[in-house]
Amino acid sequence: MPEWKGKTRGGSLGYRIFIGLIKHCGLRAAYALLFLVVPYFVPFAPKSTKASWWYWRNIHHKPFFKSMWMVLKHYYRFGQIIIDKMAAPSGYEKNFKYDFNDYDRFLEILNSGKGVVMIGAHFGHWALGGQFFGDYSKKINIVMFDAEYQKIKDQIEEMTGGPNYKVIPVNDDEMATIFSIKGALDNGEYVCFQGDRYVNENKVLEHDFMGHPAKFPAGPFLIASRMHLPVVFYFSEKEDTLRYSFNFFFADEPKRNAEKKQEMQLLDQYVSVLEQRLKIHPEQWFNFYQFWQKTKE
Amino acid sequence: MERSEIIKNINSCLAEEFEKDETTFSADGNLYDVLEIDSLDLVDIIVLIEKKFGIKTAKEDFADVKTFNNLYDFLENRINK
Repeated sequence: MPEWKGKTRGGSLGYRIFIGLIKHCGLRAAYALLFLVVPYFVPFAPKSTKASWWYWRNIHHKPFFKSMWMVLKHYYRFGQIIIDKMAAPSGYEKNFKYDFNDYDRFLEILNSGKGVVMIGAHFGHWALGGQFFGDYSKKINIVMFDAEYQKIKDQIEEMTGGPNYKVIPVNDDEMATIFSIKGALDNGEYVCFQGDRYVNENKVLEHDFMGHPAKFPAGPFLIASRMHLPVVFYFSEKEDTLRYSFNFFFADEPKRNAEKKQEMQLLDQYVSVLEQRLKIHPEQWFNFYQFWQKTKE
Repeated sequence: MERSEIIKNINSCLAEEFEKDETTFSADGNLYDVLEIDSLDLVDIIVLIEKKFGIKTAKEDFADVKTFNNLYDFLENRINK
Protein backbone atom coordinates (compact mmCIF):
# COMPACT_ATOMS: atom_id res chain seq x y z
CA MET A 1 0.00 0.00 0.00
CA PRO A 2 1.47 3.42 -0.89
CA GLU A 3 0.98 4.71 2.59
CA TRP A 4 3.65 6.46 4.60
CA LYS A 5 4.01 4.95 8.06
CA GLY A 6 4.62 8.19 9.95
CA LYS A 7 8.27 7.45 10.75
CA THR A 8 11.39 9.05 9.39
CA ARG A 9 14.52 6.99 8.80
CA GLY A 10 17.85 7.83 10.39
CA GLY A 11 19.51 6.97 13.68
CA SER A 12 20.80 9.46 16.20
CA LEU A 13 24.37 8.06 15.98
CA GLY A 14 24.45 8.94 12.29
CA TYR A 15 23.25 12.46 13.04
CA ARG A 16 25.90 12.87 15.75
CA ILE A 17 28.70 11.75 13.42
CA PHE A 18 27.63 14.21 10.77
CA ILE A 19 27.15 17.06 13.26
CA GLY A 20 30.67 16.41 14.62
CA LEU A 21 32.12 16.34 11.13
CA ILE A 22 30.39 19.58 10.16
CA LYS A 23 31.62 21.33 13.30
CA HIS A 24 35.23 20.17 13.08
CA CYS A 25 35.92 19.59 9.41
CA GLY A 26 33.31 21.60 7.54
CA LEU A 27 30.38 21.09 5.24
CA ARG A 28 32.33 19.65 2.32
CA ALA A 29 33.88 16.96 4.54
CA ALA A 30 30.38 15.89 5.53
CA TYR A 31 29.37 15.81 1.86
CA ALA A 32 32.43 13.66 1.17
CA LEU A 33 31.38 11.12 3.80
CA LEU A 34 28.16 10.71 1.85
CA PHE A 35 30.15 8.92 -0.87
CA LEU A 36 30.63 6.11 1.66
CA VAL A 37 27.18 6.27 3.19
CA VAL A 38 25.11 6.36 -0.01
CA PRO A 39 26.24 2.96 -1.37
CA TYR A 40 25.33 1.47 2.03
CA PHE A 41 21.74 2.60 1.67
CA VAL A 42 21.25 0.96 -1.73
CA PRO A 43 21.25 -2.64 -0.41
CA PHE A 44 20.41 -1.94 3.23
CA ALA A 45 17.36 0.25 2.63
CA PRO A 46 15.74 -2.04 0.05
CA LYS A 47 12.25 -0.53 0.21
CA SER A 48 13.60 2.97 -0.29
CA THR A 49 15.89 1.82 -3.07
CA LYS A 50 13.03 0.01 -4.79
CA ALA A 51 10.85 3.11 -4.54
CA SER A 52 13.59 5.33 -5.93
CA TRP A 53 14.28 2.87 -8.73
CA TRP A 54 10.57 2.75 -9.65
CA TYR A 55 10.48 6.55 -9.58
CA TRP A 56 13.33 6.93 -12.08
CA ARG A 57 12.17 4.12 -14.34
CA ASN A 58 8.44 4.86 -14.40
CA ILE A 59 8.01 8.54 -13.60
CA HIS A 60 11.05 9.93 -15.39
CA HIS A 61 11.45 7.04 -17.87
CA LYS A 62 15.22 6.85 -17.42
CA PRO A 63 17.07 3.97 -19.09
CA PHE A 64 18.34 1.08 -16.94
CA PHE A 65 21.91 2.25 -16.26
CA LYS A 66 20.91 5.88 -16.00
CA SER A 67 18.33 4.88 -13.38
CA MET A 68 21.02 3.12 -11.35
CA TRP A 69 23.06 6.30 -11.39
CA MET A 70 20.01 8.41 -10.49
CA VAL A 71 19.20 6.23 -7.46
CA LEU A 72 22.68 7.00 -6.11
CA LYS A 73 22.29 10.67 -6.97
CA HIS A 74 18.85 10.68 -5.33
CA TYR A 75 20.29 9.39 -2.03
CA TYR A 76 23.26 11.73 -2.31
CA ARG A 77 21.05 14.80 -2.79
CA PHE A 78 18.88 13.71 0.13
CA GLY A 79 21.99 13.34 2.30
CA GLN A 80 23.29 16.74 1.22
CA ILE A 81 20.05 18.43 2.20
CA ILE A 82 19.99 16.70 5.59
CA ILE A 83 23.57 17.89 6.13
CA ASP A 84 22.59 21.45 5.12
CA LYS A 85 19.70 21.22 7.57
CA MET A 86 22.13 20.21 10.35
CA ALA A 87 24.78 22.73 9.32
CA ALA A 88 22.53 25.78 9.10
CA PRO A 89 21.85 26.23 12.82
CA SER A 90 25.52 25.50 13.61
CA GLY A 91 26.55 28.80 12.04
CA TYR A 92 26.65 27.79 8.39
CA GLU A 93 23.41 29.47 7.46
CA LYS A 94 25.21 32.71 6.51
CA ASN A 95 27.30 30.76 3.99
CA PHE A 96 24.24 29.79 2.01
CA LYS A 97 22.78 32.08 -0.61
CA TYR A 98 19.06 32.28 -1.14
CA ASP A 99 16.96 33.39 -4.06
CA PHE A 100 13.36 34.28 -3.37
CA ASN A 101 10.72 34.25 -6.05
CA ASP A 102 7.58 36.28 -5.42
CA TYR A 103 8.79 37.02 -1.88
CA ASP A 104 7.27 40.55 -1.80
CA ARG A 105 3.83 39.21 -2.57
CA PHE A 106 4.36 36.47 0.00
CA LEU A 107 5.29 39.04 2.68
CA GLU A 108 2.27 41.13 1.73
CA ILE A 109 0.07 38.13 2.48
CA LEU A 110 1.87 37.40 5.77
CA ASN A 111 1.40 41.06 6.76
CA SER A 112 -2.31 41.07 5.94
CA GLY A 113 -3.17 40.10 9.53
CA LYS A 114 -5.17 37.12 8.30
CA GLY A 115 -4.31 33.51 8.87
CA VAL A 116 -2.42 31.89 6.00
CA VAL A 117 -2.40 28.24 4.93
CA MET A 118 0.91 27.11 3.47
CA ILE A 119 1.23 23.77 1.71
CA GLY A 120 4.62 22.32 0.86
CA ALA A 121 5.92 18.86 0.08
CA HIS A 122 8.73 16.47 0.93
CA PHE A 123 10.63 18.11 -1.87
CA GLY A 124 13.80 20.15 -1.39
CA HIS A 125 14.03 21.63 2.09
CA TRP A 126 11.87 24.59 2.97
CA ALA A 127 13.09 25.19 6.54
CA LEU A 128 16.57 26.27 5.53
CA GLY A 129 16.88 30.05 5.44
CA GLY A 130 14.70 30.33 8.51
CA GLN A 131 16.44 33.55 9.55
CA PHE A 132 14.66 35.29 6.68
CA PHE A 133 11.37 34.57 8.35
CA GLY A 134 12.56 36.42 11.48
CA ASP A 135 9.63 37.33 13.70
CA TYR A 136 7.25 35.70 11.25
CA SER A 137 8.55 32.31 12.39
CA LYS A 138 6.90 32.88 15.79
CA LYS A 139 3.56 32.70 13.99
CA ILE A 140 4.39 29.55 12.03
CA ASN A 141 2.64 26.31 13.02
CA ILE A 142 3.84 23.13 11.37
CA VAL A 143 1.26 20.35 11.14
CA MET A 144 3.31 17.19 11.62
CA PHE A 145 2.61 13.53 12.27
CA ASP A 146 3.14 12.89 15.95
CA ALA A 147 5.42 9.88 15.40
CA GLU A 148 7.67 11.92 13.12
CA TYR A 149 7.67 14.89 15.50
CA GLN A 150 8.61 12.77 18.54
CA LYS A 151 11.49 11.26 16.59
CA ILE A 152 13.03 14.52 15.39
CA LYS A 153 12.11 16.72 18.38
CA ASP A 154 15.21 15.86 20.41
CA GLN A 155 17.46 16.28 17.41
CA ILE A 156 15.97 19.70 16.62
CA GLU A 157 16.42 20.80 20.23
CA GLU A 158 19.98 19.53 20.36
CA MET A 159 20.92 21.30 17.16
CA THR A 160 19.05 24.57 17.58
CA GLY A 161 18.14 24.88 21.23
CA GLY A 162 14.52 24.35 20.27
CA PRO A 163 12.49 24.99 17.16
CA ASN A 164 11.56 28.60 16.45
CA TYR A 165 8.14 27.52 15.22
CA LYS A 166 5.20 25.75 16.80
CA VAL A 167 4.15 22.19 16.00
CA ILE A 168 0.57 20.98 15.73
CA PRO A 169 0.86 17.20 16.09
CA VAL A 170 -1.43 14.95 14.09
CA ASN A 171 -2.49 11.88 16.04
CA ASP A 172 -5.64 9.88 16.69
CA ASP A 173 -7.44 12.88 18.18
CA GLU A 174 -8.36 14.48 14.87
CA MET A 175 -10.82 16.82 16.51
CA ALA A 176 -8.04 18.34 18.66
CA THR A 177 -5.88 18.81 15.57
CA ILE A 178 -8.68 20.50 13.64
CA PHE A 179 -9.41 22.92 16.47
CA SER A 180 -5.70 23.69 16.96
CA ILE A 181 -5.41 24.50 13.26
CA LYS A 182 -8.58 26.60 13.29
CA GLY A 183 -7.43 28.41 16.45
CA ALA A 184 -4.05 29.29 14.94
CA LEU A 185 -5.65 30.58 11.74
CA ASP A 186 -8.22 32.61 13.70
CA ASN A 187 -5.28 34.22 15.55
CA GLY A 188 -3.83 35.36 12.23
CA GLU A 189 -1.04 32.76 12.35
CA TYR A 190 0.36 30.64 9.54
CA VAL A 191 -0.35 26.92 9.32
CA CYS A 192 1.99 24.78 7.23
CA PHE A 193 1.10 21.37 5.87
CA GLN A 194 2.98 18.90 3.75
CA GLY A 195 0.51 18.08 1.02
CA ASP A 196 2.11 14.89 -0.23
CA ARG A 197 1.91 12.39 2.65
CA TYR A 198 -0.94 10.67 4.39
CA VAL A 199 -1.13 8.09 7.13
CA ASN A 200 -4.80 7.22 6.88
CA GLU A 201 -5.77 5.38 3.70
CA ASN A 202 -9.42 6.37 4.23
CA LYS A 203 -8.75 10.10 4.13
CA VAL A 204 -7.13 10.70 0.81
CA LEU A 205 -7.82 12.45 -2.47
CA GLU A 206 -6.86 10.72 -5.68
CA HIS A 207 -5.24 12.64 -8.48
CA ASP A 208 -3.02 11.88 -11.44
CA PHE A 209 0.49 13.10 -10.69
CA MET A 210 3.31 12.96 -13.23
CA GLY A 211 1.15 10.71 -15.38
CA HIS A 212 0.33 8.11 -12.72
CA PRO A 213 -2.49 7.89 -10.19
CA ALA A 214 -1.49 8.94 -6.71
CA LYS A 215 -3.11 9.61 -3.39
CA PHE A 216 -2.79 12.82 -1.40
CA PRO A 217 -3.91 13.59 2.14
CA ALA A 218 -7.43 15.05 2.18
CA GLY A 219 -6.88 17.09 5.36
CA PRO A 220 -4.71 19.98 4.13
CA PHE A 221 -6.80 20.56 1.01
CA LEU A 222 -10.14 20.18 2.74
CA ILE A 223 -9.23 22.50 5.60
CA ALA A 224 -7.52 25.06 3.34
CA SER A 225 -10.45 25.16 0.93
CA ARG A 226 -13.01 25.83 3.68
CA MET A 227 -11.26 28.60 5.60
CA HIS A 228 -11.52 31.31 2.91
CA LEU A 229 -7.98 32.39 3.69
CA PRO A 230 -4.93 32.85 1.44
CA VAL A 231 -3.32 29.56 0.43
CA VAL A 232 0.35 29.54 -0.58
CA PHE A 233 2.26 26.59 -2.04
CA TYR A 234 5.93 26.88 -1.10
CA PHE A 235 9.00 24.94 -2.14
CA SER A 236 12.65 25.42 -1.32
CA GLU A 237 15.06 23.82 -3.75
CA LYS A 238 18.80 23.27 -3.66
CA GLU A 239 20.18 24.97 -6.76
CA ASP A 240 23.86 24.27 -6.19
CA THR A 241 26.24 23.54 -3.31
CA LEU A 242 25.51 26.67 -1.30
CA ARG A 243 22.47 28.12 -3.01
CA TYR A 244 18.78 27.55 -2.38
CA SER A 245 15.75 29.05 -4.07
CA PHE A 246 12.48 29.70 -2.31
CA ASN A 247 9.47 29.61 -4.57
CA PHE A 248 6.00 30.75 -3.59
CA PHE A 249 2.84 30.10 -5.57
CA PHE A 250 -0.50 31.64 -4.69
CA ALA A 251 -3.59 29.48 -5.06
CA ASP A 252 -6.83 30.82 -6.50
CA GLU A 253 -9.67 30.55 -4.00
CA PRO A 254 -11.79 27.49 -4.80
CA LYS A 255 -15.40 28.17 -5.79
CA ARG A 256 -18.47 26.24 -4.70
CA ASN A 257 -18.97 24.19 -7.79
CA ALA A 258 -21.21 21.22 -8.29
CA GLU A 259 -18.83 19.69 -10.82
CA LYS A 260 -15.74 19.68 -8.66
CA LYS A 261 -15.32 19.79 -4.90
CA GLN A 262 -13.41 22.72 -3.47
CA GLU A 263 -10.63 20.54 -2.07
CA MET A 264 -10.15 18.97 -5.50
CA GLN A 265 -9.92 22.42 -7.10
CA LEU A 266 -7.13 23.23 -4.66
CA LEU A 267 -5.42 19.88 -5.21
CA ASP A 268 -5.51 20.50 -9.00
CA GLN A 269 -3.51 23.66 -8.47
CA TYR A 270 -1.09 22.01 -6.02
CA VAL A 271 -0.40 19.08 -8.32
CA SER A 272 0.16 21.37 -11.28
CA VAL A 273 2.75 23.44 -9.38
CA LEU A 274 4.44 20.40 -7.82
CA GLU A 275 4.76 18.70 -11.22
CA GLN A 276 6.38 21.82 -12.57
CA ARG A 277 8.92 21.88 -9.71
CA LEU A 278 9.58 18.15 -9.93
CA LYS A 279 10.48 18.43 -13.60
CA ILE A 280 13.12 21.02 -12.71
CA HIS A 281 14.62 19.18 -9.71
CA PRO A 282 13.52 15.53 -9.95
CA GLU A 283 16.24 14.34 -7.55
CA GLN A 284 14.78 16.47 -4.75
CA TRP A 285 11.62 14.39 -4.43
CA PHE A 286 12.10 12.81 -1.00
CA ASN A 287 9.30 10.31 -0.64
CA PHE A 288 11.29 7.09 -0.47
CA TYR A 289 8.31 4.77 -0.49
CA GLN A 290 5.90 3.61 -3.19
CA PHE A 291 4.10 6.93 -3.56
CA TRP A 292 2.25 6.14 -6.76
CA GLN A 293 -0.38 3.51 -7.34
CA LYS A 294 0.77 0.97 -9.86
CA THR A 295 -2.53 0.40 -11.64
CA LYS A 296 -1.39 1.84 -14.98
CA GLU A 297 1.68 -0.37 -15.26
CA MET B 1 -33.81 32.95 18.90
CA GLU B 2 -36.43 30.26 19.25
CA ARG B 3 -35.25 26.64 19.21
CA SER B 4 -37.51 25.89 16.24
CA GLU B 5 -35.90 28.69 14.27
CA ILE B 6 -32.42 27.44 15.16
CA ILE B 7 -33.36 23.94 14.03
CA LYS B 8 -34.82 25.23 10.78
CA ASN B 9 -31.71 27.32 10.04
CA ILE B 10 -29.10 24.72 10.90
CA ASN B 11 -30.94 21.89 9.13
CA SER B 12 -31.25 23.96 5.99
CA CYS B 13 -27.51 24.78 6.09
CA LEU B 14 -26.46 21.19 6.76
CA ALA B 15 -28.72 19.89 3.98
CA GLU B 16 -27.19 22.31 1.50
CA GLU B 17 -23.59 21.82 2.65
CA PHE B 18 -23.67 18.03 2.67
CA GLU B 19 -26.22 17.63 -0.13
CA LYS B 20 -28.71 15.71 1.98
CA ASP B 21 -32.48 15.64 2.17
CA GLU B 22 -33.62 17.49 5.30
CA THR B 23 -36.40 14.98 5.83
CA THR B 24 -33.77 12.37 6.76
CA PHE B 25 -32.71 14.49 9.77
CA SER B 26 -34.20 13.45 13.09
CA ALA B 27 -33.44 14.77 16.55
CA ASP B 28 -32.06 11.43 17.71
CA GLY B 29 -30.22 10.71 14.48
CA ASN B 30 -26.45 10.40 14.64
CA LEU B 31 -24.99 13.51 13.02
CA TYR B 32 -21.99 11.71 11.55
CA ASP B 33 -23.97 8.77 10.19
CA VAL B 34 -26.83 10.77 8.70
CA LEU B 35 -24.55 13.34 7.07
CA GLU B 36 -22.05 10.61 6.14
CA ILE B 37 -19.15 12.60 7.51
CA ASP B 38 -16.10 11.89 9.64
CA SER B 39 -14.16 14.04 12.08
CA LEU B 40 -12.29 15.72 9.21
CA ASP B 41 -15.56 17.01 7.78
CA LEU B 42 -16.21 18.62 11.13
CA VAL B 43 -14.36 21.60 9.75
CA ASP B 44 -17.36 22.21 7.46
CA ILE B 45 -19.73 22.32 10.43
CA ILE B 46 -17.39 24.58 12.43
CA VAL B 47 -17.10 27.06 9.57
CA LEU B 48 -20.82 26.85 8.84
CA ILE B 49 -21.82 27.58 12.46
CA GLU B 50 -19.39 30.48 12.59
CA LYS B 51 -20.70 31.93 9.35
CA LYS B 52 -24.39 31.41 10.01
CA PHE B 53 -24.60 32.16 13.73
CA GLY B 54 -21.37 34.05 14.43
CA ILE B 55 -20.37 31.48 17.05
CA LYS B 56 -16.75 30.46 17.59
CA THR B 57 -16.51 26.86 18.70
CA ALA B 58 -13.93 24.97 20.76
CA LYS B 59 -13.07 21.30 20.93
CA GLU B 60 -14.92 20.94 24.25
CA ASP B 61 -18.13 22.20 22.60
CA PHE B 62 -18.12 19.30 20.19
CA ALA B 63 -16.93 16.57 22.52
CA ASP B 64 -20.51 15.62 23.39
CA VAL B 65 -22.16 16.45 20.09
CA LYS B 66 -23.19 13.13 18.61
CA THR B 67 -26.81 13.61 17.54
CA PHE B 68 -28.73 16.41 15.86
CA ASN B 69 -30.36 17.08 19.21
CA ASN B 70 -26.95 17.58 20.83
CA LEU B 71 -26.14 20.10 18.14
CA TYR B 72 -29.44 21.94 18.57
CA ASP B 73 -28.85 22.06 22.36
CA PHE B 74 -25.38 23.44 21.90
CA LEU B 75 -26.54 26.12 19.48
CA GLU B 76 -29.53 27.08 21.63
CA ASN B 77 -27.32 27.45 24.70
CA ARG B 78 -24.73 29.54 22.92
CA ILE B 79 -27.13 31.74 20.96
CA ASN B 80 -29.37 32.51 23.91
CA LYS B 81 -26.55 32.79 26.45
